[in-house]
Amino acid sequence: MKHSGTTRRGFLASTAAIGAMGLMPALPTAGFAQAGSVLRLRLDGDNDILDPGYMSGGTEIEAQKQCLPFLAQYDRTEEGFDWAPTYFVTKLEQRDPTHIDFELAEGLVWSNGYGPVRASDVKFSYERMKGTDWSGYFDAMDHVEVTGERSGTIVLSEPFAPFIMITLCHGPGAVLCEQAVKDAGGEFTNEFPAVCGPYTYEAIPGQRVIFHANPDWAGPKPAFERIEANVISEVKAAELAFEAGELDCTEVGADTLARYTKNMPDNTEITVAGELQYMWMGMNTDHPKLQDIRVRKAIQRAVDVDSILQGAYSGTTSKSHGIICPGLIGNRDQSGYSYDPAEARALLEEAGVSGLELTLRTLNNQERMLAAQIIQANLGAIGITVKVLPVESGPYWEMGQESKGDTWKDLELWIMRFGTTPDPYEAAQWFVSDQVGKWNWERWTDPEFDRLYQEGIVETDPEKREAIYVRMQEIMEDTGAYLWINHEPEAFVHTTDIDVNAAPSGELNYRLFDKA
Amino acid sequence: MSENRSEPETGIPAVDASGLPDHVSEAEVLESAARERREKLLMFVTNWQGLTGLILVLLFFASAIFAPWLAPYEPNTLDIPARLSPPSLEHLAGTDQLGRDTFSRILYGGQVALKIAAIGVSVALLVGLVLGMIAGFGPRWLDNLLLLAFDTVRSFPTIVLALAMVALAGPSMGMVLIIVIVTSIPQYARVARTATLTLKNTDFILAERSLGASTIRTLWHHIMPNVVGPLMILAAMDVPVVVTVEAGLSFLGLGVLPPTASWGTILNEGYLVIRDAPWMVIAGGIPLILTTLGFTFLGEALRDIFDPRMGKGR
Repeated sequence: MKHSGTTRRGFLASTAAIGAMGLMPALPTAGFAQAGSVLRLRLDGDNDILDPGYMSGGTEIEAQKQCLPFLAQYDRTEEGFDWAPTYFVTKLEQRDPTHIDFELAEGLVWSNGYGPVRASDVKFSYERMKGTDWSGYFDAMDHVEVTGERSGTIVLSEPFAPFIMITLCHGPGAVLCEQAVKDAGGEFTNEFPAVCGPYTYEAIPGQRVIFHANPDWAGPKPAFERIEANVISEVKAAELAFEAGELDCTEVGADTLARYTKNMPDNTEITVAGELQYMWMGMNTDHPKLQDIRVRKAIQRAVDVDSILQGAYSGTTSKSHGIICPGLIGNRDQSGYSYDPAEARALLEEAGVSGLELTLRTLNNQERMLAAQIIQANLGAIGITVKVLPVESGPYWEMGQESKGDTWKDLELWIMRFGTTPDPYEAAQWFVSDQVGKWNWERWTDPEFDRLYQEGIVETDPEKREAIYVRMQEIMEDTGAYLWINHEPEAFVHTTDIDVNAAPSGELNYRLFDKA
Repeated sequence: MSENRSEPETGIPAVDASGLPDHVSEAEVLESAARERREKLLMFVTNWQGLTGLILVLLFFASAIFAPWLAPYEPNTLDIPARLSPPSLEHLAGTDQLGRDTFSRILYGGQVALKIAAIGVSVALLVGLVLGMIAGFGPRWLDNLLLLAFDTVRSFPTIVLALAMVALAGPSMGMVLIIVIVTSIPQYARVARTATLTLKNTDFILAERSLGASTIRTLWHHIMPNVVGPLMILAAMDVPVVVTVEAGLSFLGLGVLPPTASWGTILNEGYLVIRDAPWMVIAGGIPLILTTLGFTFLGEALRDIFDPRMGKGR
């Protein structure tokens, strides 16, 4: 009888051979690399809600930008960020402070047989937003007038300088197909009822989203025919996937950014989208231990922020002096206090405080834990004992909100980071009196700040706006409740043969990617 | 006493005042016990695994206990300019991202591991022993109830249970201890229960009970000494598990609070910089590996020697 099939030795030998092949670095990439028209990216999680009215943001905005029309898009200039009309419009003009005229391009067609994109779709989409979770972006808009099949006017209720930049360029500015949304029941979740853009959307939960070329698309062809966005939640894993040649572009963390900057691998480039994040250590001005402003000012002066930037962020972030990020109107280049432990001790003594014990809450991630430990050591040096409490993201974002429990009463110190859009008003909105117990966890109020906030919205003269936002940050700083830390960049590593297009707030716009 | 004074009719050996059968003397019994001890010691000394284990375990204890004298630096002193230095004579295992000496942190991390292991295992052992004996010796309904409780706890994966508890109560060393104790009680209890069950109907226990000994006395004087041996071996083998649970929780940021050094936090911090400073992960991993090996070798050697069922040729 003839023996056929696998023998033990044969099995061992072939397994060893396959294993050895796997060790060869060039082979897998050669095997998987496809024609240059596929772009492989990373998503940090599944997109749950694509509806601009109810999304969480982030990569959901990325998906909207591929599959829905927008009137405006970000434009990066030498001085910072500006806006430009997209190819979905032939005209987008601010006629006067409260009127924005637009005309949609010809030949835009919704998928699924919903016909051409009309001005009434714009009216429907924007007026609908006023009743959704993201209504804040449309507070200044009164209504949209339809003047023709493809033309109309956005009417603002008051002059609102940043409307185009903040609202129309960002996710909330997406235009939906009126009929398709109504057919879908008024809102939608993980599938677009109708798309109009260079790509269509196909999601495989937990694995990837594939953007196929849209057969109905008549506009300019994007550089890549197909985009595969893989769901990889760990930043580290995504970095390894990039290094293994499985991704063309991914976001990187601070330490990897430092390593690449020092020693850039072959065929690799880094693009920094923007530094629209501001991190600070907040202090609860209502807490009995921190009610004395001298204690808060002592803490401001006791922490060596430069060592945080080095120790926790490998020197990859820029030092912060307020809530307005670099490149925006009102960004400050220095703060009114500096690292001075002697002065800090004197302030504590003046306040008659000794043996102070405080709890510092932070998100449980590496950089912030390191930052927290540096703060702990610095405050220890002036006699304040700090307990660092790492908190998971769920409870973390609820800590200071009165509607989410009682933690806000015990909140003492915390490290916080907000992201923002390229206009100073967005960052300032979270600290007005109305926000106490919502996002103003420091719990101070100041009538001048509230007044300046309203003035900042309607002011159109950049110099006057600059003065307003600088003053607002001084007010914040003088409460003693803020220790400014840094502005983290949104940095993307990618191969040299592609040009990355990222919004200043970090969302990628795949359709504007290019082959270098 | 060389004369055989067994009962002529039944053949059962007569017993003298010391309670020994008349054909063996007290000296002979002692001599035999001493010989057995000597044999076992010899077996242990000639068992290279057991000896290696013992040395590693002693090293673990010594390094943790004498950490304050052995460590060249304060474990929590920051030295940012010297961050991520490679191993050198100045810093034997390099420094971490905040410039703290990794070697010193490992030594102090051993204290955390030792504390958790010593307190965790001994409390779990004690509680498990008591509960196990009660389950084995007590009434049927109590046995069933306790078994249900043990199996319920055992059915939770440790890390998932830990995640839930830490999410509710916040991370701390006390929390790690509670998790370790709660999750390891059932295994001691189950072993103790089984051993108690097999002893429950042996003659000497029945005799003791017929003489009117109380349950507590029976458990304490007669059952416990017979049950505790295997449990000690189990405990020795459980130490590395406890140490890795602590390291695992600290690795996930759910264990000890910063800036306290723990092997888990060192590993976690090293993991983030593995491409820039691989020695941190290596330095954090070595003590974990050695401790695990040490206790496992020691436990297995002890089991081989003291468990008669494992004995070769007997």
